[in-house]
Parts: sequence; C-alpha cells; structure tokens
Amino acid sequence: MKSVPKLIRRFVGILMISSVLILILNLVLLFVVGMSQTASGSPYTTANEIGAALQRTGDGYVCDAALSERLEQGEFWALCIDDTTHQVVWSTENLPDEIPRQFSLADVSKLTLGYVKDYPTYAGEAEGGLVVLGYPKDRYWKSMWPTWDYYFIANLPKTVLCVLAVNILFIFLIYVIANAGLLRSVRPIVEGIQALPAGEAVCLREKGLLSELAASINRTSEILRSQRLQLRKKETARANWIAGVSHDIRTPLSMVMGYAGQLKEDPELTEEQRRRAAVIVRQSRRMKNLIDDLNLASRLEYNMQPNHLARENLISIVRQVVVDFMNLDIDGRYPIHWETDESLTVCPVNADKALLQRAVSNLIQNCINHNEQGCNIYVRLTAEDGKCCVAVADDGAGVTDEQLDKLKSAPHYMVCDSDNVEQRHGLGLLIVKQIMDSHGGETTVGHSEHGGFSVELSLPSGSQ
Amino acid sequence: MDCEYLKDKRILLVDDERELLAMVESILRAEGFGNIAAASNVREALELAERFCPELAILDVMLPDGDGFALLERLRQRGGYPVLFLTARGEDEDKFRGFGLGADDYMVKPFLPKELIFRVLAILRRSYKEENPLVKLRHSEIDFARAEVVKDGEHIPLTAKEYDLLSALYRNAGRIVTIDALCEAAWGDNPFGYENSLMAHIRRIREKIEQSPSQPVSLVTVKGLGYKLIVESGR
Repeated sequence: MKSVPKLIRRFVGILMISSVLILILNLVLLFVVGMSQTASGSPYTTANEIGAALQRTGDGYVCDAALSERLEQGEFWALCIDDTTHQVVWSTENLPDEIPRQFSLADVSKLTLGYVKDYPTYAGEAEGGLVVLGYPKDRYWKSMWPTWDYYFIANLPKTVLCVLAVNILFIFLIYVIANAGLLRSVRPIVEGIQALPAGEAVCLREKGLLSELAASINRTSEILRSQRLQLRKKETARANWIAGVSHDIRTPLSMVMGYAGQLKEDPELTEEQRRRAAVIVRQSRRMKNLIDDLNLASRLEYNMQPNHLARENLISIVRQVVVDFMNLDIDGRYPIHWETDESLTVCPVNADKALLQRAVSNLIQNCINHNEQGCNIYVRLTAEDGKCCVAVADDGAGVTDEQLDKLKSAPHYMVCDSDNVEQRHGLGLLIVKQIMDSHGGETTVGHSEHGGFSVELSLPSGSQ
Repeated sequence: MDCEYLKDKRILLVDDERELLAMVESILRAEGFGNIAAASNVREALELAERFCPELAILDVMLPDGDGFALLERLRQRGGYPVLFLTARGEDEDKFRGFGLGADDYMVKPFLPKELIFRVLAILRRSYKEENPLVKLRHSEIDFARAEVVKDGEHIPLTAKEYDLLSALYRNAGRIVTIDALCEAAWGDNPFGYENSLMAHIRRIREKIEQSPSQPVSLVTVKGLGYKLIVESGR
C-alpha cells in the first residue's frame, strides 16, 4: 500500500514541474513577442526625434532631407503647434482634413493622453512648439488613464509574492484533494490484491472508476478460494483415508501380535516354534510402528496435526525418551551414553512436547533398527547462539557417502509429486524432519564421530 | 513384588470383536486372572456390570451401540473401579478425552500380551493396595504405611517430600526415573528448576536408607538422567 501514495506523489510532482516549466516558457514567449512588437520604435520616441529634427526658420519650420524621407515612408501624419498662438504652423501633406488647425490647451492635453478625432496621437517637443504624430485609427490602442496607486506600486514585490504563495497553496490543495480522492478509489483495490496471496476472501465494491478492476479481483479471489478448498478437500480425504486404513488394521494386527506373543512364551512349544512366533511378533511390531508413523506423517504433511506449543525444557523431553529406552533395553545391547554437559540443566524451547518426544524417539529407534547386532548410542544436548541442539549418534553400521547424498536429496514417497525419480522409503526420518520443520528447526544428517550414523536437530531457543 | 492377591480381581472386558475378546481373556487367564466377564456392546456391558460388580473394566472406544467414553461415564455412576481403554483409536485427542474422563490408562491396539499384563497389574496395584507394603532394600526397609525407614532396628521418619520421591521411585522400582519426573512428583509440573533441591533431598534419603550414603547401593544415580531404586525382593 505504501507504493501507491508514492506513485501519486510522483505524478503530481511531474504535473507541478511541468506547470512551472510552462509558465516560464510563456514568459519567455511573451518577452520575445513584446520585443518584436517594439522593434520599429515607440511612437513617443519617433515624435521626439521628429521634434528635434524640425528646424525653425522665421515664422515657419523646415525639415531636413532625412526627415522628409522618413515622413514620406511613415504611415503617420505630423503637425507642429506653436507655443504661443496654439495654431498649426507646420504639417505633413497627408494631414487629414478633419484635424483642426487650432488647438486649445484642453485639446493639447487630450491629444497627449489619447486621440484626436480617433487618431492615436503622440506629442514630442520641438523648438518653440509641440510636434504631434497621428497614426491610422487601427494602428494603436492607447490606455488613456495609466495611473497607479503609489501604495500599490510600492507593495508590488510583496503583492507578487503573496499571489505566488496563494497559487502554490491552491496547487497544493488541488493535490491533496485529488490525491485523497485517488487514494480512496485505489486503496480497496490495492488491499484486495494484497489479500489475495494471503488466501482471504476478497469482496470489493464494483462501483466507480475502477469497477472493472474490482470485479476482476473479486473473480480471482473466488477462483483461488475454490481451488484452495478443492485442494484442502483432497488432502483431507487422503489423510482420512490413511487414518481409516491404519485404524481398521489395528484390531486384526492385535490378534496376530497377541497370539504370537503368547506362543512365543508357551513352554509347551519347541524352541524352533517359539523362535518362529518371535519373528511374527517382531514383524507385527514393525507393522504397528509403520501404521503409527504413516498416520502421523500424513497428518503432519497435510498440516492436520495441531501443534500444542508450550514453553518446554528440551532437556527434560530428551531425558525422558532416553530413560524410556534405557528401561526397555533389558539385555543391554543398545547402551545409551548421555553426553550432555552437567552444568546445562535448562534448554527452553517453544514446542509440542509429544511431537518432540516422538522425533527424538524416532532417532534412537533408527539406531536400533539399523544395527541388529547392537550398538552404542550417544545423545548430546548443547545450547549456543540462541539454539538448542540434540545430537543422536551411534557407532554402528553407518552409511556410505553415496547413501548420505541420496538421503539428503531423494524425495520421500510421501511428498514426491512425480513418479519418474528415485524415491526414499522409511518414515522415521521423514517424521523427524516434518516435526522439526513445523517447529522452525533444522535436521542435519551425517557421519558420526563414533563411526556410525548421526542426526542433529536444532531448535530456536525460547526466551527465558 | 507379590501380585498374587490381585489375580482374583473381577475384570470386565468390552469389545465388539468376539475374537479379540477371546484373545484378551486367554492372555489374562494365562497370567492367572480367574474372574473375567466379557461383553460385546454397551447394553450387555451395563447388564453385566450390574450382576458382576467388576473391579477393573477394559473398554473399547468404538462399540456397535455407543462409544466407550459414554460407557465409562455410565459405569462410573455405579462404582468407582478403575478403567483401562484398549482401542484402535490412537490420536492424541482421543487419549486426552479418555484420560479427561478419568480413565486410568489408555492402550492403543495392537499390543503385546506382556504390555497388557504389565499395565493391568500396575492399575490394580495402584487401586488396591496391599495391606502392609514393606519394601525391602539392601540395608533397610521402607514402611510406606507409617512413612518411615527401618534401619538396624531404628525407625527414621520420612518428610513429605522424601515420601513423595520414594513413592515415585518405588512405583518404578528397578527402572530409571528421570530428574524431571521426580521433580514433578515432589513439586508439581514445572519444566524448569528444582534440580538442586532434588539433589539435596536425595542426599538426605540416602542418609536414611543407605549404609554408606556416599556409595549408594539402593538409590543409584544414572548420571545426568535420573535415579533408580533397587528393591531386594525383585520386581
């Protein structure tokens, strides 16, 4: 939304700069035209020049050759009024008949200011008289009363500044009003567009200048929502399907596991028969784990597992899982070594306790599953740089570099969207990764310093 | 520890799968439980409960004429005996609901016979305590009824916290109990702290139960993780 006022400001800025430029251009043009207008010389100057050029001879006047030539070429007529008699004592030949040959002082005053018989006239001083030039009636327009208030002239700079200020204020007002109006109509559109990626329902009023745009946004929102709903429906259906199948398989598997468990302990059976029962028990246990994992993985994948986040002590969580495994490991084939610094007693994290327990438990179970001959398991917790880390490692078979690369890059079948690439199986690590992702944490797999496989989980530390 | 006195408790089984009922019954009978009644729906279960007066009920959640949660509530109106859910519904919400209604344990199918027996015995032991539980240790005995330790003929009383800690350790005798679980037993649920206090209490308990507290043989430390109580009669 911030970009819209910026855009409008830029537009208005361009508008204002162009108006100023146009103003300057106009002034320049006016100046040039005015200059060309006065290029032929002002009539006042001409009158004075002619007055000076006239020479008095006894009771008349004569003009020199240059002046005569000028008078012949000029479009005006001229006469000279005597100072004392107020009579015309000299005139050009083209003097119209209607012009009087005698002038009163009032007439002189009038002709100085304005016209004689509608001819614009200009007076100039001559020796012992007054030279008057008369131009054709449509040649000049004269302002007859060019009188200005002294106060007005004195305050002219101030007045000009005031007018300029008023102009600027006016332009600014126009800017604000136009801006506000524009923003009002653009804002809902922009907000609508911004709401689209967030997945909110957008319903804009389809009225006004931008109604077409609003209608398109509304339609886009509808399409997006229905698509999202369809996708969600499909995901829910898939997750429900997995949940349903895993539920329905539990009861029959109970019977397999239950009877096999009884047979395994039955003293009346032979050693071989009991061994076979033990295999059935072990395999049904694998199936049980698989069902649990499949269900949780699908719920995590489709974001259907609610995260009950709370402030937890990561050390307590991991300690409980480790102790549960130690209590179960009766024959001591999988000793767990607690390598956490004893001074570290609290690692606060914001987490879903049950899910984190599951993640750590999957890691330890992984060590056990992949090392049937038994192995040492090392669990270490560290806290540094605002992170809490759990590392689970073993000294068992481990993985080759090639397998490690595959583990890091090959997509899991739960999340793979194409069928022509090699997919990864086994849900244990996938669930760990999903759980860490949902907590904003990271999962790093690698070789253990003890020679086997190692996984490190790192979680952002919760504030103390 | 002797569990024989628990084997004649009356157990009510409710599940809509007749074959599963038969299997659970055979598992329990093989372990020595003799008083077992089975029902395959809510109606039958309520009738049986009336006549049979069970001392433990093992219920499925999904039944043809109702659900186990509702059944638990109706059974509880008639008697205060413990209830164990044994169901195919493994979601956390179902477990929380079961425990919220006051179930004593919640098991998700499939299960191993040993696990079922272990849990049934644990519930029964909690609910029906032996008359005089005297716990034998290497160098002393704990008398929970009197809250005291008997060492070399001397009776040493236990404080409330020491009693809580020893009970939690005894319930899991032979198994490691985490530092956190012990703190919770003594001070309630708080994921942070009390570790130092716990160490002080453990030291005092050792002074009471061990011959040589610096070299404990009954209450042993599992470094960084927790403690283990070793009971002489085995468990």
